[in-house]
Amino acid sequence: MTSPTSVRTSKHRPEPAVSAPASARSSFARTPRTFYWMVVPAVVIFFGLHTVPVLSGMFFSLTNYAGYGTWDFVGLSNYVNLFQDDRVLNSYGFTFGFAIVSTVLVNVIALAIALGLNSKIKFQAAFRGVFFIPYVLAILIIGYVFNYLFANSFPAIFTALGMPGLATNLLASPDWAWVGIVITTVWQAAAFNVILYLAGLQTISADLYEAASIDGASGWRRFRSITFPLIGAYFTINMVLSFKSFLQVFDQIVALTAGGPGTSTESIALVIFRGGFQGGEYGYQMANAVIYLFVIIIVSFVQLRFLQRREASFS
Amino acid sequence: MRNTNRTGLRPSRRIRATAVVVAAATLVGLSGCSAPDTGIVTLNFFQFKPEAVTEFASIITDFEAENPGIRVIQNSVPDPDTAIRTLLVKDKVPDVLTLNANGNYGELARACIFANLAATPVATTVNPAVQNIVQALGTCASDGSKEVNALPFASNASGILYNPTIFAQNGVTVPATWTELVAAAEKFKANGVSPFFCTLKDAWTASPAFVNLGGTLMPEGFFDALRSEGANVSSGTVSFQKDFATAAQKEVDLFRYCQDNFASRDYNAGNKAFANGESAMYLQGSYAIPAIRANNPQASIGSFPYPVTDDPDARVVVSGVDVGIAIGRNTAHPAEAQKFVDYLMSPAVVTGYSQAQSTFSPLANATPNTDTALAGLEPYFTAGKIVGFIDHQIPAAVPLVNLLQSLVISGDAGTFLSDLDSEWSKVAARTTTQRQGK
Repeated sequence: MTSPTSVRTSKHRPEPAVSAPASARSSFARTPRTFYWMVVPAVVIFFGLHTVPVLSGMFFSLTNYAGYGTWDFVGLSNYVNLFQDDRVLNSYGFTFGFAIVSTVLVNVIALAIALGLNSKIKFQAAFRGVFFIPYVLAILIIGYVFNYLFANSFPAIFTALGMPGLATNLLASPDWAWVGIVITTVWQAAAFNVILYLAGLQTISADLYEAASIDGASGWRRFRSITFPLIGAYFTINMVLSFKSFLQVFDQIVALTAGGPGTSTESIALVIFRGGFQGGEYGYQMANAVIYLFVIIIVSFVQLRFLQRREASFS
Repeated sequence: MRNTNRTGLRPSRRIRATAVVVAAATLVGLSGCSAPDTGIVTLNFFQFKPEAVTEFASIITDFEAENPGIRVIQNSVPDPDTAIRTLLVKDKVPDVLTLNANGNYGELARACIFANLAATPVATTVNPAVQNIVQALGTCASDGSKEVNALPFASNASGILYNPTIFAQNGVTVPATWTELVAAAEKFKANGVSPFFCTLKDAWTASPAFVNLGGTLMPEGFFDALRSEGANVSSGTVSFQKDFATAAQKEVDLFRYCQDNFASRDYNAGNKAFANGESAMYLQGSYAIPAIRANNPQASIGSFPYPVTDDPDARVVVSGVDVGIAIGRNTAHPAEAQKFVDYLMSPAVVTGYSQAQSTFSPLANATPNTDTALAGLEPYFTAGKIVGFIDHQIPAAVPLVNLLQSLVISGDAGTFLSDLDSEWSKVAARTTTQRQGK
């Protein structure tokens, strides 16, 4: 899930504890062969299984290929048609709205949980384990469980509590189904961000807090002036990674609403899958996928630039 | 793939194969492999119906006992329409396939995925009226209906299923007109019985009612006229807005009588609920009967055709080929595949399957199905008062079932019709600029 390239671009900051120390000073001549053996196969596999398919997908975006049978070149007409297709445009709107809301919620919740787990509470290790469990579970399985909860359990609970107004299935409403998807996604995705924030919090020296408390700084002040600036790098990575992965939302929608009711919760990836593999418009949806790829690259790049400028740095 | 006329795609084969490696990985388990050493031929049999796996397994066992040199591997997946396309992208066409003869099948047949079975003796045993439903979906031959790309193995019929016990308890007779149907629904509602159990969590369950309403009410030759308009639907003489307004409104009217939580119940829940007598009627066709009986073998089931208008004689049954049998065009074992198809199409196997799965036999001179649940539809099928599924005429790229789901939840027929026209136009525009000569 985590893209190695986006991690590597974040230089100029204290290295996270997990990453290997870079041997930047050593010259190429003295580098043991072992390191090449570690890197080259990965590059070859990445190129073969990732880059080649991407390039062939770009190639087919210029054709009318249905996924089978014959095809011809159609120039850029797939791209022209994309911008006239309101179903595609709506899916971009839905996906961006969903990604923004989910990113904000995931980061706020994950940071709050991480702060709690980093303090000296009882059963700290057990809590950390519990909060990591959602990340280990497959998102499809979580989706089907939540699907059942939304359809059966929550309506029953709200009916029993005497709140029939809330006792409808969230996922069955064209206006509110997206909220159900956000809830499921945040529940699952927060776990991973908690881990990253915990790693960041542990790099902050206890001396700083000690000094701050001698100066009489309040808890909020300590968070605002010490904690948050010093985990800025982790904040950036969390924002970029979660926004990127939420733009690619697919599994949870398949499990929860299948894009419905109607087409109200169709994400970009779902439209590409539906049109490309089920609708026989492989070439057309490959054009959509190419645009989608560049949108994600540009968004991640802009986000990285913007957030990096606001990080505190020791250098 | 070797003997095709599709030389144009040869250079791209490798690129294409790698293009779908990721998708392919999920389907690796589907590919059967032949064992050349033992002399036994292994046929890869793509079987699309999850509920008929045991039925086909016993057919295969009998076939293998008669033909020791042939082994048949049955592959069944939850989402067959997607799975078959994914296999095709990899150039892995199964040796023998069963497919629902729908619009998806038609697109594949036109792309010359399936062998021509026109010259085989077994093709002459099929009821021509039923074979025509398959032919109308499209064939590989560009000049018309010369090729037979799939043989009908089982036909279904879409009508309204009802619970005779509940009808008798409430003193309701089987409605023959639209007015009677609405009156019956009102009476059930007044008596505290749910008229229909609807399952809109699965979007497609809105479409059986729509194909009956639309199929009966649409003007003759509607889809041919619509296709000839291309992308100019809004300025043409026919359109969904002009010709489907009554059908859309009647669809909304019917779904008003659904139970409260109908938008969050799925097809499986519906089968279970109807099996347990939770609703008087069920807007599903003959294909739902085996699933209902799986929930309750003693379920009380009857059927009647949709009374779409107030003219009882105008009632027809929407019928489709539930299971069609095809052979991969470039199978490595054509003789063995043909042998298996001949066996599948033999009267004993077809009749046995149609009794077990509550379908109609598509063979000429077939004995009518004696299943009491089908008794209301059987006369229409035998008399040939059948029309095809209109949704098979709509390209898969048009999200018809999703629009129908919105329609019955929101009740907004105007938006539904204009959306359908707009989706049709967009797909037509893409298709005319793209797929010439198809």
